[in-house]
Amino acid sequence: MSLQMSEAEGAVKVEEWQQTFYASDSGIQSGATTIQDEDQSECSKKYSISASAGDSATDMEAQYSLTRAQRVRAAMFPETIVEGETVLTAQSSPDQPTNVQRLAEPSQLLKTAIVHLINYQDDAELATRAVPELTKLLADEDQVVVNKAAMIVNQLTRKEASRRVLIQSPQMVSAVVRAMQNTGDLETARCAASVLHSLSHQREGLLAIFKSGGIPALVRMLSSPMESVLFYAITTLHNLLLHQEGAKMAVRLADGLQRMVPLLKKTNPKFLAITTDCLQLLSYANQESKLIILANAGPESLVFIMRNYNYEKLLWTTSRVLKVLSVCPSNKPAIVDAGGMQALGQHLTGSSQRLTQNCLWTLRNLSDAATKQEGLDGLLQILVSQLGSDDVNMLTCATGILSNLTCNNARNKALVTQSGGVEALIHAVLRAGEKEDVAEPAICALRHLTSRHLDADLAQNAVRLHYGIPAITKLLGQPHYWPVVKATVGLIRNLALCPANQAPLRESGTIPRLINLLLKAHQETQRHGSGAQQTYQDGVRMEEIVEGCTGALHILARDPINRGEIASMQTIPLFVQLLYSYVENIKRVSAGVLCELALDKQSAEMIDAEGASAPLMELLHSPNEGIATYAAAVLFRISEDKSSDYRKRVSVELTHSLFKHDPAAWEMAHAVMPLDPGYIPDDLDAVYPPYGYSDLPMDGLPLDAELHEQYMPEMTYDPRQVYPNPL
Amino acid sequence: MNREEAPGKSPEEMYIQQKVRVLLMLKKMGSNLTPNEEAFLRNYAGVVHSQMSQLPQHPIDQGAEDVVMAFSRSETEDRRQ
Repeated sequence: MSLQMSEAEGAVKVEEWQQTFYASDSGIQSGATTIQDEDQSECSKKYSISASAGDSATDMEAQYSLTRAQRVRAAMFPETIVEGETVLTAQSSPDQPTNVQRLAEPSQLLKTAIVHLINYQDDAELATRAVPELTKLLADEDQVVVNKAAMIVNQLTRKEASRRVLIQSPQMVSAVVRAMQNTGDLETARCAASVLHSLSHQREGLLAIFKSGGIPALVRMLSSPMESVLFYAITTLHNLLLHQEGAKMAVRLADGLQRMVPLLKKTNPKFLAITTDCLQLLSYANQESKLIILANAGPESLVFIMRNYNYEKLLWTTSRVLKVLSVCPSNKPAIVDAGGMQALGQHLTGSSQRLTQNCLWTLRNLSDAATKQEGLDGLLQILVSQLGSDDVNMLTCATGILSNLTCNNARNKALVTQSGGVEALIHAVLRAGEKEDVAEPAICALRHLTSRHLDADLAQNAVRLHYGIPAITKLLGQPHYWPVVKATVGLIRNLALCPANQAPLRESGTIPRLINLLLKAHQETQRHGSGAQQTYQDGVRMEEIVEGCTGALHILARDPINRGEIASMQTIPLFVQLLYSYVENIKRVSAGVLCELALDKQSAEMIDAEGASAPLMELLHSPNEGIATYAAAVLFRISEDKSSDYRKRVSVELTHSLFKHDPAAWEMAHAVMPLDPGYIPDDLDAVYPPYGYSDLPMDGLPLDAELHEQYMPEMTYDPRQVYPNPL
Repeated sequence: MNREEAPGKSPEEMYIQQKVRVLLMLKKMGSNLTPNEEAFLRNYAGVVHSQMSQLPQHPIDQGAEDVVMAFSRSETEDRRQ
């Protein structure tokens, strides 16, 4: 729009603008209120039409006589001025045009009009007229014009009415976006970014920014060297991510993550809080985003923040990002290696409940990747103290983290044991009740503490001394939650390693409970057939329950009264049957329990009567030294009262099988062995190879129970020999 | 079978050697021995002495190994506060 004016009138207008743009308004004349910007980086501009030196009182009065609308009309459409109205003039000398007056008239005139508009900030209708022109000016080739237009638009956003008008003009918003991303002038970029920031506080503004391609432009601004631009850009993006549908995808597509992660090196805590919150919004449930953060060294920067800042909101937002990343298998080890466990552990005792809880959840997620980490002593001690909490979330996390950190780590086990961890865990078990998320890890932790470290016996005794045995035994009862049952059975096995625990375990009714569980689990495995098919309940295989219960009974059977009770419950046939299991560990524990039971003569006879010799002979050849040892010991014990011929056959079989680990000794024994037909069966002597049976085909060898029963128990059985005729 | 002869190269001696090894392994694993077995070891103290150094140094039967629990299978619900 170009205004048709005479040069003199145009000069007047420019003069006015010159004065008002830089003048300060006390508010008395115009009624304008003070404008305060959020970041206070811009001066509060108060515009006024004030008199310059030389104006008379008459002129002032003339000014006041014009209505607001008249003043604006005079500014924008002077040709419509009614006779009798006067226009202000402040030019000190009509003969001396200022430099400003020499600027191109149309834009200057418009600026004047706009200045007037600014004085009437509540008048949206007036602002509407300026918007199309401002839109054009923002695209002007003259960067000074663009700059000024941007500043004006920025001012217009400070009031609700004019801001609304801007939002409703998609062309205006687009123009601001383009101005921001195309300008080489930092101040223009700052103004434009500020505009978008202001607009982003309304839903319509967010939509307008989104539709105008504002997101890629804002992402580009994240590389700006100007701090205020960075602030506006990240804050606007944050608002978009929070409230604008489609914004997350757009930010990801614009490589927003790649630009944001490096910003974690900035030092302003509030800026970092917004940035980390953006990362959390972008990466929650989005695996690709998590990997991008990892690729840009995000874990290290996030851990650094946790370690070095005190601003609660920043710590909270950062802990949320770490929590999101902690479920990613690739990020987990990176966070742990960057010292994440230690850093998160620093914030478990503060006053911020939300921060503490987030850190605990994150630590729990990370814990299975941190079993070999050093420097966790402080964390472990804090976790032990947290076991006293009544907060179920805190208990769930503390028990889970402790369970994992004590896994195969002798140092951590010893430290937790010495820090009163056993007593604290027992109390947690008591308070857990039916809450499996607390009970299972607590029992697992106790199981870890009671074996495979120097203070294991200390822990085993501590469980008894703190009245843990009845509470633990109770967990074997109905209703069965199998993960807890499995963990409890393993713990009982460890507790039985301590002789002082044998009687209390018996007195709390552990033995019949274990046997009932064993029978139940074994029946389940038999129902579904042996071999490949495995039966799961609550994610636990019934074979694991069979192994666990038998293993616990094996150790309990070291006590003479216990083994009498075990034998009296008709368990020997089942244990003999378990010798045929396809599961190596089940073979081991069943051979082990039979080995203990066979210490009693009566039980030894029952074991023999059940036909245990045949499977035991086979187990002599096991590559597992424990299995072979138990099998040999049972055979020794059940052959004590047998005929000498039987004992010879056993001893030969034993000698030959035990030699397989010592070929030189076998050669020596074989060379000097007398050819006494009464001592060594001819067929056996001819069959045994010197060492190693790996070249023999194992397929088709009769291994199932049915075939074993065809043989007399006195005969030796050689699985390497294929017998052509049944004996 | 438990002949009390001086150690030599006879099959019986080899058998004694192996039985001593079995009994020592049992003790190493924490198992009990019968009175006869304890007496057997006392009778063949010399064999016991030579076998002790040949026992495996690593633990034989310590029960099931510790296993970690995987807590990070799924993302925990995140409620903004």
